[in-house]
Amino acid sequence: MSNGVDEIKSGFTRHGNNDYVAYFSPEESEVLVNLVEQIIELLGERTDNHSDDPLAAMVGITTHDSPPEDDVLLRLLPNAYADQVDASEFRRYTELTLRTKKSAHAMSMRIDLKSSPDGCIEVDHEGANAWLGAMNDIRLALGVRLKVQENSYEELEILAPDDPMRGVYAVYSWLGWLQESLIQALMDDAL
Amino acid sequence: MVKLDEVVDAKIDEAIKELLSGEKPWITIVWDDPVNLMTYVTYVLMELFGFSREKAHELMMQIHTQGKAVVSTGSREEMEHDVARLHEYGLWATLQRGDQTI
Repeated sequence: MSNGVDEIKSGFTRHGNNDYVAYFSPEESEVLVNLVEQIIELLGERTDNHSDDPLAAMVGITTHDSPPEDDVLLRLLPNAYADQVDASEFRRYTELTLRTKKSAHAMSMRIDLKSSPDGCIEVDHEGANAWLGAMNDIRLALGVRLKVQENSYEELEILAPDDPMRGVYAVYSWLGWLQESLIQALMDDAL
Repeated sequence: MVKLDEVVDAKIDEAIKELLSGEKPWITIVWDDPVNLMTYVTYVLMELFGFSREKAHELMMQIHTQGKAVVSTGSREEMEHDVARLHEYGLWATLQRGDQTI
């Protein structure tokens, strides 16, 4: 796990009992929309492999039960059992539901951003949880690409200016800070 | 005097009870992850399991320092449900029999 990055910005703040508000510049909104759309796309990738059996599809059973080959997707949809047979069985019956739930978080975040031309985002507790889930999925995805490990933060901090991963790390850090601000706002609420 | 079949019945009941109580429950384990924020893990444990902040913080610290922690125990079905909810929020969780080595 990692500690949040401290920055002097507001991020999310609590308004009243159950509302959480953040302001984003057009550039920040664009980055967030872009990232969340990539997650939605990624989560939708394997849904083409639906079972031909309409009844199985209806109850969320998929024919594939092998773990995703893509590292990012595997982190988003991890094995529930160490045992491969149990893991496959569980995946067959639950992966589609997990995808759907994660997509719902991401789409909720996307809609909030898209429907706010002035960059002001206001969410309730449920909306905040969707944002947290979606931001976390984006960070998990970026973390896999950046090969983040427990002790790799020092290396990532000193990436060369022309290293393409430098920008990715900047976004990753910013998202961690944004997520932290929303958690703090929610935890204050719980006091 | 106690009838023989009553004794046998009592013996069978006892054996069934023993079998049932010997059955180890299943456990849900959350594993340490370099990406998830410490506060986020605490928050998710509070939200999903209704833990107090102290209890959630304690479990989070155990995950962080020892690499893993058992966050719930119960039937296999219940643990599968817990793991699915933890995966929904991006925590790295697995389930297994309670008597298996972690």
